[in-house]
Amino acid sequence: MISAILIFLALAILFGILLGYASVRFKIEGNPVAEQIDNVLPQTQCGQCGFPGCKPYAEALAKGESEVNLCVPGGHEVMIQISEITHREPKEMEAEPENIAQKIVAKIDEDICIGCVHCIKACPVDAILGATKMMHTVIESECTGCEKCIPVCPVDCIAMIPEEVTPQTWGWPEPTPQEAPLIQTFPPKD
Amino acid sequence: MTTTPTRTFKQKLILGLSKLYPMAKRALYRFHGGVFPRYNKELSLSHPLITDFIPKTLVLPLQQHVGVITEPLVTLGDLVLKNQLLANTEKGLAAPIHAPTSGKIVAIEERTLPHASGLSGLSIILESDQKDQAIENSLDVDGSIPEMPDKLKALIHRAGIVGMGGAGFPTFAKIPSQKGQIKYLLINGAECEPFITCDDVLMQTRANDIVQGALIVAQSLGIEHILCGIEDNKGKAIKAMQKAAKDTNVQIKVVVTAYPMGGQTQLTQELTGIELPAHTHAIDVGVLMMNVATFAAIYQAVIHGNPLTSRYVTVSGLGLNHPFNIDARLGSSFKELALLAEPKTPLTYPLIKGGPMMGIEMQSNDVPIIKTTNCILATPPEPMEEPMPCIRCGECMDACPINLLPQQLYWHSRSHEFDKVEELKVFDCIECGCCSFVCPSHIPLVQYYRFAKSEIKHIKQEEATAELAKKRHEFRQERLEREKKEREDRIRAKKEAVKQKAAQKASAETTETEKPKANAAAAAAARAAKARAAKNGKETPPAEPKLSARDRAIAAAKKRTDAASKPTESNTTTPTKKQKDKPKDPKAAAMAAAKKRAAKAAKEKHSTQADATASTETDATDTTDTMKDKRAAAVEAARQKAAEKKRAKQSEQPENDSLETPSVATKPSDETTATPNKASDAKRKAAMAAAKARAKKQQSKTTEEKT
Repeated sequence: MISAILIFLALAILFGILLGYASVRFKIEGNPVAEQIDNVLPQTQCGQCGFPGCKPYAEALAKGESEVNLCVPGGHEVMIQISEITHREPKEMEAEPENIAQKIVAKIDEDICIGCVHCIKACPVDAILGATKMMHTVIESECTGCEKCIPVCPVDCIAMIPEEVTPQTWGWPEPTPQEAPLIQTFPPKD
Repeated sequence: MTTTPTRTFKQKLILGLSKLYPMAKRALYRFHGGVFPRYNKELSLSHPLITDFIPKTLVLPLQQHVGVITEPLVTLGDLVLKNQLLANTEKGLAAPIHAPTSGKIVAIEERTLPHASGLSGLSIILESDQKDQAIENSLDVDGSIPEMPDKLKALIHRAGIVGMGGAGFPTFAKIPSQKGQIKYLLINGAECEPFITCDDVLMQTRANDIVQGALIVAQSLGIEHILCGIEDNKGKAIKAMQKAAKDTNVQIKVVVTAYPMGGQTQLTQELTGIELPAHTHAIDVGVLMMNVATFAAIYQAVIHGNPLTSRYVTVSGLGLNHPFNIDARLGSSFKELALLAEPKTPLTYPLIKGGPMMGIEMQSNDVPIIKTTNCILATPPEPMEEPMPCIRCGECMDACPINLLPQQLYWHSRSHEFDKVEELKVFDCIECGCCSFVCPSHIPLVQYYRFAKSEIKHIKQEEATAELAKKRHEFRQERLEREKKEREDRIRAKKEAVKQKAAQKASAETTETEKPKANAAAAAAARAAKARAAKNGKETPPAEPKLSARDRAIAAAKKRTDAASKPTESNTTTPTKKQKDKPKDPKAAAMAAAKKRAAKAAKEKHSTQADATASTETDATDTTDTMKDKRAAAVEAARQKAAEKKRAKQSEQPENDSLETPSVATKPSDETTATPNKASDAKRKAAMAAAKARAKKQQSKTTEEKT
């Protein structure tokens, strides 16, 4: 009887120490769910969800303080992914992005730009180059197309343009997939 | 078929069986799958090779290879000779472009590329003068074989040679930089696509160039085994190559005619038995394979110094009356060559670049031949077989030369499950078209794989940009945070400085009241001198005992006018600005200022018995009204000015305008954090200057008020 108690006590202490050590040694920094959500978000940092960036929205989602259908550029797909991660009911998107297929980037009309640096301050990814009273320009490869620079421009010299397709970036179109129905009656109808 | 010398019983049996079941021929070679289409090669072989056709205009796209676009080195209106360098770049993987004939550069503009997208790209347009004047040995070679791989690579790069089998990868980048890395050098003469005979004709006419080219590469890279694979339907080519390879270590291997025998992985496996693992390059297993045309181009470059400016192209197809092979200048138009072959019907249908299996329909027929174009196919469109549902027969799986699962790939591609498509190794697919060829339902399978590949690439690209955006956004947040903190720190430092100033003022006052009997002016002067000495370090106090009261008054007056001439704002802003800029400096400055103020306050108290509460400077000065005070102030000011002048002289400062000093003093103070010694010195100077400026300002103010 005593020996059994001692054995279990010893085991309990051993596992207690092990667990305690593991919790210190393998401690997870930050919120893994927020991290996961952040990874599926499109990282445009556009703020259309009402949060100042993708990460804050991910954190709010992880805490359950926000709806799953707020990411406009991510669209339906991201909403589904978010609801899978958070184990919540998918919700229909309220707003759909205007053009999903093509990436758009900001372009500054350099003749009109007055060098006010407003857009530089607004850009969430520092993709605009320029200095006070100097012409500004957008680094296209780093622009996320969030359109945050458009309302702040006092001379309306920024336009969103679709990214140019080059032979390198061009992709094969989908071979019209539904030309053959999955189940066909026999004889086939004409 | 006739050239294979001996056939084993097994081969005979299989060939016999293949009459009943064609796919039995798959047992004749080493790789999996494969198909046996109708070759139609005799179409173009039945007509002689054309070598003397020079088109009127040549369109040379600046990018004819995998890598980065080249930059034009010629300008509009330039007269160029054949073999002259037209475009090159040092920015990355690229192959330079040379003039295919002599003529004039008439434009450098966007022209439609021979690309499936039908997009246009920057091209040089050369109008030929039909004289075809050439620069002989334009690569400046001495005809010797480079001993080191690096030299060979450089030469191949300069010659603008790219993989001419169709990949278009710059050849120099394919060659290893060290000797002995390659065990087998393989010559790809297995032209397996139907209709195409350009390599066949090349082997027949320039077998020596090909063999010598291979020997050059082998010698340069120290390769022992050279194997040349030629399909057994090219009898003449085999004979010519065997003749050229006599007495060399080039082995001509006759391989079975099967599609896609000419694929790199397939021919490698057939010739060496090595099956290339996924995600490895041929070089990793000690194999280097090049097309016969590439070897011929290497020979031309190394021995004769001729860059790559022309290539053999097959112009064939069922829609042509007179199909042929041509030694075409790069930049010749598809349409022009097709018209040369007398099309049966007007060319209202799209021409195909490449063969019927892997070829791509052009969006425009007026596209140029580039270094990788091996065939122009004019086949009038036939009524397309309507795609039917997949019946899961598995024919495609049996036909796939890479051992993939085409059916699975199809289903996943169709339902956009790209992660699964990728797991099934869609990127190992060579798009040979065997699966589509055998599909009884006529499903355009390769189209689905191409689409899936494009989509996966696009998704990967998007992920990369998202990652970059995330990083940049996080960095920005960090930067804003840091800037905010720095600003707060500055404000706090400033507040502390103000507090300290007030505290010191109070303490100075108490010390002053302890010795009320001392002569105020003398005491102030002494203290100021002491402070100055302490501040200036080695500098001696510039006492001017011999100056009379009148002189001092004059000095004071001068100074007043000095101060008055400058806007008062600049007086006040300079020191305060400095305080903002340097959180450490203002403290010192404030201390000095406070001391002096305290001294003055004591003076005032002594003469006017004003109340001893810590009043503001202006308050204090306003209350003083006596002549004594004025004089004392004048004395102080004059002394300061003299000291300043002296210091200015010492530091070889051309302007003796006292107002300049504060700003000058800020310069050395920039280094405060870097070197503590220097910093303390600079601090002292700055403090001095600030104090002086303030005192002066006050003087001028008070005196103005008095007068």
